[in-house]
Amino acid sequence: QAPGNLRFSAVFSEQDIRAEMMRQFSESVKAQGFTLQPYYGGTLFKQGTELVAMQRGNLEMGNIAPQDISNQIPEWSIVTSAYLFRDADHLKKVFASDVGQQLKKMASDKLGIHILGPTYFGARHVGLKPKKKINTPEDLAGIKLRMPGGDAWQFLGQSLGANPTPMAYAEVYTGLQTGAIDGQDNPLPNVQNMKFYEVMSQVALTSHLVGFDLLAVSNKVWNAMTPEKQAAFQAAADKAIEWSTQEHLKKEAELASFFKEKGLDVYTPDLKAFREFAQKKYLASDLAKSWQQGMLEKINAM
Amino acid sequence: MNLASPFSLALVAITALAFLGLPIGHSMIAGSILYLLLAGQDMGTAAEQLLNGMYSNYVILSVPLFILAAEFMNIGSMTDRLMAFCNALVGRFRGGLAHVNILQSIIFAGMSGSAIADAAGTGRMMQAMMTRDGRYTPSYAAAVTAVSSVIGPIIPPSIPMVLYALVSDASIGFLFLGGVVPGLLMALSQMIIVAMTARRRNFPVEKPVPLRKLPRITWDAFPSLMMPVVLLGGIYSGVMTPTEAAAVAAAYALVISAGLYRSVSWGDFYRSLAISARTTASIGMLIAGALVFNYVVTVENIPESVKALLAGWDLSPVGFLILVNVLLLLLGCVLEGTAILLIVVPVFIPTAQALGIDLVHFGVVVVINIMVGLITPPYGLLLFIMANISGEPLRDIIRDTLPFLFAMLVALAILTFVPETVLWLPRLFGYQG
Amino acid sequence: MTASLRATGAWLARRAENVASAMLAAMFLAFLLQIAFRYVLGLPIGWTHEVSVILWIWLVLWGASFVVSEREEIRFDIIYGSVGSGTRRIMAIVTAVALIALYAISFPAVLDYITFMKVEKTGYLKIRFDWLFSIYIVFIIATIIRYIWLAWQAMRGVAPDDFDPTKASSGV
Ligand code: NA
Ligand code: NA
Repeated sequence: QAPGNLRFSAVFSEQDIRAEMMRQFSESVKAQGFTLQPYYGGTLFKQGTELVAMQRGNLEMGNIAPQDISNQIPEWSIVTSAYLFRDADHLKKVFASDVGQQLKKMASDKLGIHILGPTYFGARHVGLKPKKKINTPEDLAGIKLRMPGGDAWQFLGQSLGANPTPMAYAEVYTGLQTGAIDGQDNPLPNVQNMKFYEVMSQVALTSHLVGFDLLAVSNKVWNAMTPEKQAAFQAAADKAIEWSTQEHLKKEAELASFFKEKGLDVYTPDLKAFREFAQKKYLASDLAKSWQQGMLEKINAM
Repeated sequence: MNLASPFSLALVAITALAFLGLPIGHSMIAGSILYLLLAGQDMGTAAEQLLNGMYSNYVILSVPLFILAAEFMNIGSMTDRLMAFCNALVGRFRGGLAHVNILQSIIFAGMSGSAIADAAGTGRMMQAMMTRDGRYTPSYAAAVTAVSSVIGPIIPPSIPMVLYALVSDASIGFLFLGGVVPGLLMALSQMIIVAMTARRRNFPVEKPVPLRKLPRITWDAFPSLMMPVVLLGGIYSGVMTPTEAAAVAAAYALVISAGLYRSVSWGDFYRSLAISARTTASIGMLIAGALVFNYVVTVENIPESVKALLAGWDLSPVGFLILVNVLLLLLGCVLEGTAILLIVVPVFIPTAQALGIDLVHFGVVVVINIMVGLITPPYGLLLFIMANISGEPLRDIIRDTLPFLFAMLVALAILTFVPETVLWLPRLFGYQG
Repeated sequence: MTASLRATGAWLARRAENVASAMLAAMFLAFLLQIAFRYVLGLPIGWTHEVSVILWIWLVLWGASFVVSEREEIRFDIIYGSVGSGTRRIMAIVTAVALIALYAISFPAVLDYITFMKVEKTGYLKIRFDWLFSIYIVFIIATIIRYIWLAWQAMRGVAPDDFDPTKASSGV
């Protein structure tokens, strides 16, 4: 592996806004003598396996899902819980705060990765095939809502009041079309990419989870840099991430009206009812036992 | 390309080991380890890619279950009754069973989105039918099954089309519709070849079945004939996903064979499981090897090198389509289809768009190319699967696929140069492209 | 080889096949349960999905290690099938040596990766990945032993194609 060469693997495609984010980042860090070697579409390492690849020195950079980090550091599961972050701005603030420092330090100590920042990719909303209007969690009772596999994701579905159904991402379109599932929960850009809107009648803007990954670089690369280089590297990441976040916000707004044009009912349900329902579920669960004392309150207060 | 580079040496090693008779799965794993060793990379990556690739590829699980379904059909008298029915319909024509094989693939295409699953699922059954009493040579039977299985993902549902939609933003609904006519055209081209070969090779004619016997034969085969209906109905009414449909197919076959026809003993049941498990393991090793080798291809940026090579050529839309066809057909000879679809095809989409080529049309053409790649040597998964099922040498099967391959390329040319063949049906359903 | 040793080997091979068949049966059942729970009972379950994927990995690698015979393996036989038994013996020795060497060289790194995977657990059943993936270690060791045996057979003058279990038992 040539020095300065940064192998980067991500699940998003080369056409994704985040791929452009990485191009911008790569331009900026050229000055520090780094060459980004990107692999998109999960072609090099499968979704969810990038973290271990970084830990084992097979990848210098990654866009890591917080769910993968919480798999190894249970304290991290707090940032994967429903209705924790209100929006992209809140997400950014929390990661810039001392709470963020604490989380980053855990990742650095236990996983050997340096987290550069959260990469926002859209809030997750509930999209349904049935026309039934959704206002409160009670309205989702019995609705077969597709969630990614695994207990943590299924619990997220329960915390919305739905009947979570695991299904492979590639099967969601047909699942919706045929009624094997009633709905899915993905950020709007995914709903567009995967054409789910073709087989949906409505989007309830539940914003139940602010979707983000973590742009990270291995400690091996990070620690070899001088403080000045680190600062420039971090600044390049901040700038690219900020650009990408704004692009995603723009795209989400565009897509909301695009789906309306396509005849879908796009509306905001009673978010207060959803938030209270979800946080209560999380606090009563085993997951919350691993959260650090006082962290939830601190995040809520920000 | 540097001939002494780790990648070149690994490629040479894989080819050499495979030609010297090492199982192909082992050849790809061993060659990839050689690459990692020479490139100074973590050799644990071989295990990492194989294991995680298999762990995350859920839809591939339909393969063992379709194999099992076919075994269950075989132990019962389902196969016999279905054959009697098909025989009554088209057996009287010369080469009747070959036509039946193709017709059956059209039916199966409506049930499954994977050519591999089609071959694995119906291959064993068709092989037994066609080679019984020496009607056809085993290699010819295997070749017909291999080429007709190609129709599977062209007619919806189709996993490759979903993957294409993912990288191109084209509509899955319209892509699916776009595949219907091309799928039927592919089938027609194959039937023409059967009809042409039938006379020259003096293929058997099944004894004509009197018309008055037809109701009885249909009634006997009815539970078997209902199978596609049950599966399609199950999928399109939301009872199960296409992957799960494989399990339902096996369960349905078992229930019909054991419950209705009462022709299954415990010994038969175990043997079906054992044969399916063995086939699953040997096919699974091939998939495993491809998964490991795909890492090498990706890390070496082979698709990027191809893209760089093409940049700067000033092409017309037709010239570009010819180029893509030729390139995909060549790549299909050496690479795994999903990898081509996910790694190579995205490279061409911006160019296709810029040239004003319709992305649904482009997608269907791309998927057909990738399907043809499944029957082109040296790396043709359908050939390997049929070699495994029939026990025939690969070269004999390849020889018998050649006329079909030629006809399919003619059909592909028509579909490439006359976009209306693909777009007619989607437009009928409101497609604006 | 003595007759009793051969009988033991055949007995073990049958048990290995029993295990592979049971794994496939379990996979089949898991799928049916999954459909029944979701559609009939309206209670979607996810662990069946996980069970099927785990069984798939184990079935393939277990099967490749202990069940699939030389004749059942998918190979590219254009040259292999057209040469004489002497040439085929040499080909078998060459490929076996290459395979043994490469699998053996990768073994420490593979072991390192799989033991490293103790840090992760599956989503539903919370099975540690080092246990889940341990079948790959079994696979590598079994394959190396199998190819040492094949190379040894070839050196002793038994051409690969003659090595056929049905023929081996025909002397009884
Ligand atoms: Na067929
Ligand atoms: Na199909």
